[in-house]
Amino acid sequence: MPLLKFYNLNMYKRILVAINEHLNSEVSGRYAVQFAKSCSAKLYLCFIADRRLSTSAFNKAEDAVKRLFAEAEKMGVEVEAITKTGEPVAEIATLVKHERISLAFVSTRHEDLRRKLYEGTVARSLMLQLPCSVALVRISHVGKSPPHKILLPLKSKISGAGEKAYFAAMMAQAYDSKLFVFHVSRPIAKFFHGPLHLTPIELENRMPRDIAVFLKLLGDHKIKTEKGFASGHEGRTIALEASIKRHDLIIMGASERGMLRSFIKGSPVETLLRDTPCDLIILRPKHEDQ
Amino acid sequence: MKINNIPAEDVFNTLVTSKDGLAADEAARRLREFGPNEISEKKRPNILLKLAKQFSHFLAMLLWIASALSFLSEYLHPGEGMMRLGIAILGVILINGVFTFVQEYRAEKSFEKLRLMLPFKVKVVREKETLEVNAREVVPGDLIVLTEGDRAPADARIVEAKYLIVNNAPLTGESAPVPLSSKACGGEIFDSSNIVFAGTNVLSGSAKAVVFATGMRTEFGRIAQLTESVEAGLSPLQKEIIKATRVIAAIAISIGISFFVVGQFIGRGFWENFIFAVGVIVALVPEGMLPTVTLALAMGSQRMAKKKALIKNLNSVETLGAVSVICTDKTGTLTMNRMEAVNVWSAGDFSNIEFLKRSDPLVLGAALCNNARYEKGEFKGDPTEIGLLKAVQKSFGNISADRLDEMPFDSERRRMTTINKIDQKHFVFAKGAIEALIPLCSRILTKDGIMPFEDTLKNSVIEANNRMMDKGLRVLAFASKEMASDEISGEDFESGLIFSGLIGLEDPLRPEVGAAIEKCRSGGIKVIMLTGDGSRTARAIAVEAGMVRGNPVVVEGGELDGMGDNELRAKLASDDIIFARMAPKHKIRVVSALKDEGERVAVTGDGVNDAPALKKADIGIAMGITGTEVAKEAADMILLDDNFATIVNAVEEGRAVYENIRKFITYIFSSNIPELAPYLAYVLFNIPLPLTIMQILAVDLGTDMLPALALGAEKPTGTLMRRPPRRPNERLLSAKVLSRAYLFLGPIEAVAAMFGYFYIMVGGGWIWGETLAPDSILYMQATTACLTAIIVTQMANVFACRSSEESLFRPGIFSNRLIFAGVAVEFLLQIFIVYHPWGNAVFATAPITAAAWLALVPFAFLLLAADETRKRFCFCRRKTSC
Repeated sequence: MPLLKFYNLNMYKRILVAINEHLNSEVSGRYAVQFAKSCSAKLYLCFIADRRLSTSAFNKAEDAVKRLFAEAEKMGVEVEAITKTGEPVAEIATLVKHERISLAFVSTRHEDLRRKLYEGTVARSLMLQLPCSVALVRISHVGKSPPHKILLPLKSKISGAGEKAYFAAMMAQAYDSKLFVFHVSRPIAKFFHGPLHLTPIELENRMPRDIAVFLKLLGDHKIKTEKGFASGHEGRTIALEASIKRHDLIIMGASERGMLRSFIKGSPVETLLRDTPCDLIILRPKHEDQ
Repeated sequence: MKINNIPAEDVFNTLVTSKDGLAADEAARRLREFGPNEISEKKRPNILLKLAKQFSHFLAMLLWIASALSFLSEYLHPGEGMMRLGIAILGVILINGVFTFVQEYRAEKSFEKLRLMLPFKVKVVREKETLEVNAREVVPGDLIVLTEGDRAPADARIVEAKYLIVNNAPLTGESAPVPLSSKACGGEIFDSSNIVFAGTNVLSGSAKAVVFATGMRTEFGRIAQLTESVEAGLSPLQKEIIKATRVIAAIAISIGISFFVVGQFIGRGFWENFIFAVGVIVALVPEGMLPTVTLALAMGSQRMAKKKALIKNLNSVETLGAVSVICTDKTGTLTMNRMEAVNVWSAGDFSNIEFLKRSDPLVLGAALCNNARYEKGEFKGDPTEIGLLKAVQKSFGNISADRLDEMPFDSERRRMTTINKIDQKHFVFAKGAIEALIPLCSRILTKDGIMPFEDTLKNSVIEANNRMMDKGLRVLAFASKEMASDEISGEDFESGLIFSGLIGLEDPLRPEVGAAIEKCRSGGIKVIMLTGDGSRTARAIAVEAGMVRGNPVVVEGGELDGMGDNELRAKLASDDIIFARMAPKHKIRVVSALKDEGERVAVTGDGVNDAPALKKADIGIAMGITGTEVAKEAADMILLDDNFATIVNAVEEGRAVYENIRKFITYIFSSNIPELAPYLAYVLFNIPLPLTIMQILAVDLGTDMLPALALGAEKPTGTLMRRPPRRPNERLLSAKVLSRAYLFLGPIEAVAAMFGYFYIMVGGGWIWGETLAPDSILYMQATTACLTAIIVTQMANVFACRSSEESLFRPGIFSNRLIFAGVAVEFLLQIFIVYHPWGNAVFATAPITAAAWLALVPFAFLLLAADETRKRFCFCRRKTSC
């Protein structure tokens, strides 16, 4: 019970969203505004202009900040706009520390995904360096927002389960959407028998303990939840599930695979960042489970 | 609110654009941000890699090692003939690899066909100017301009429309024109009347629309992605062959190693033991199995093609036999797709159309609110409208009038309306679904003239409609009114109509369907109908076809949308279930749920958006006549006559193929025992080796092949469709098959082989313990006799293997003439091996006398008699237990 009580408290009191001249950052900003409203958090709209940025790009980003500011105010969200010039990663990191930000929304783009493990991008740097939880947003389909059906793929072992459950619940609450918890297990094969087919009921009976705990956490938030189980290649199976069932948004935890393992075996997160049929939010939680 | 739910003016804000379009630099930025607007294919595995895979699986790796050891042995101990063995094993690897590749390879072209459906150029507004740009450069936020004949490049929200009518057939499979507008509407994007989708055609009118999804994120891209990513997985036969080869390899290696160790223990030399171990392994590995399976499948596919089922993937031949559920469309597959107006309800009475007057509004509506036409001796248009026109023309001749305006049918309004001029008067005629027309009617035509359309009269109309639907008829409601000429320009000409009546159209069942459904029922195959028709019509058709008995579960498309997976699976567990008012988008969910439950599913489809379901199913069946190219490319089988009965015939053929594979596996495996026995005798009794490795390969890859193939061509027996589909856990190499081959037929052949060997050796003066040189005539004649004994008993065995339970006389000795051809070739090959100098040189054989042959023939009869006795015993026991 203490665990559940803890997560019913407001985990995110100050939320930052990084805005730039790109459309996807503004759409990510819309997610952040709704989310901040749902959490009753203060929202920081932050635009850090790189010194090399053109005037037209600067103006576009500023316009985006203004529009989001107006939208947040209209929705009754406490909001502050910050525009600075400098190196984005360093400036945002300083701001996060200074303002004691608990969650930052950062967007990534198609061109970032051409790089393996989106290495060297601002999005990846922010994901790794910010001393707060980070929600990396990949805008894939502008028409599907606001999301009514949110897919929540879960691994067998969930770190930061409490925060992930809280984040998903608040996002679902923000849009009055339904959450679909989905677990993909590796196919089981035996040498002489070959691959074994397990029905969804059999897969559910083998549900990992962490997922059961996670479902209980979600249940405590009184969010409409449905669960599904499948076996197969994780990234591809999740993308197919989202595509077949026409989900509007996928929320999943950040990859915990090391560089070498990701390079050799690939990473479901990276597969989804490339092939997601709908918007995708990758959450890297910072709050420790209690 | 989603993009379809908001007013047109808010669309610009949502996508951060304006009526002037995007600026060039912003468009370029968004192109980098979202990527090009194209259907991009993932990297496919290289064809060479696919080929390489066939040479690197478990069994192949073992054979590579055996071959390498043979070459090493030849290098260390020249003159033992190991070089020939090494080369022979390489040949086995090559033959098996190539045959498996041929069996599994299938060129993927559905993606190419999809790509061709998108336009290359498109008009966009950029900085107030209308430009023509490459379609791949379109980005979210772009304002596109669509005019008649254009094809939409991306999914876009309409912000301005002038009489826009599009054809969504490439996406939905429905060819009816769809009017679109810029008005906000509720519901999901896919069903909205203000969204234009990539790949769809503008039939008339014009529009401006703001792009919100490009490339693989469009609905079209979604179909492409699903078609590409969805995998049916390995076929049941592929899985079984993997298991079988692993079991065989494990048995062969275990026995080989055991005898190697025993040999070492009793003091034989290392290389002698090694040759022995390799011999045992080669004897136990059925080298000819994979080529024979592939050829049997190829023959099966040819037989299916003759029955109008074109198989695209060889493995599908057998998969068909394993199918436990068939999900089928109704129109055109179960029915003839030939609508006939068979019943009319007018002025409170049921009758036929010929009993009405020519001037009856119902007759006029059926003739004039109709886009079908009669040209050059044939009717053209939608089958339902053709049915109406035919009925009118048959009874009243040609009825025509000027059409002043038309509101075409669309799936949302579910009605069509025309304004016609008859004798200088203007009339509105409307036809459509009853629930779409009743709200527009304020009066009704009755026996007593035109009356207010009160609730009691509405109820009688609904009751009449239900009675017609319960008979399996597709029911159309009709309404009309006369209007003043100045009312024509008004938008409200569909209100205040007079309800004219109902016409029920029948799409007759194909005559073969009833028997085919009965065959499925007796064969334990569940048939699920997925139709766009209403539930009453669907139920009536299903009952008429014999698909359902009693009260089936009926699920409608809308209900399915809101249904969770568990609920869907629970519904699918019921014996009788029908899916009504279904769109093709629903198919993949039904197929996935069935597959999750371990069912082996065949599904029919014809449209582009059927492609993912066709790929997902174990057997995707495309319609040869009405199917799109994309559906045909995605399918495993094409029905050349679009007929359900053809599917059932193909399933029966598939079951026969599986039975036949078991028959020839029994046949092939039987010869492994007489191939192994000489090695056991060699090591246990210290006699010269009675059968060489090359002679083993002569049987496995030579003489056995054609008789085995002839077994693969056995016709389906009448009992095949009277038993349930085989269980997923039923093994190809079942204990029954293995025990019959290894413990019954094989030992008889082994006795014959050893008899032949000793018959020559003892007759030639050999004394026990005497060693003979490998090139001594007596030794070569003895091994030849051993080999001949195997061949002679295998010639009898092929007849025994025609059935595992029935007497060889029951199917008719001459019912499969290929058996005789196979046996003849087998015999000729053996003659070549025994008597031709080349055969002697390659297989180290020597000619034997006719007496030796005659001494071996009784073993063939012994094998047949023993197996007949076994069958009779088993059959009687089963009959008693029944």
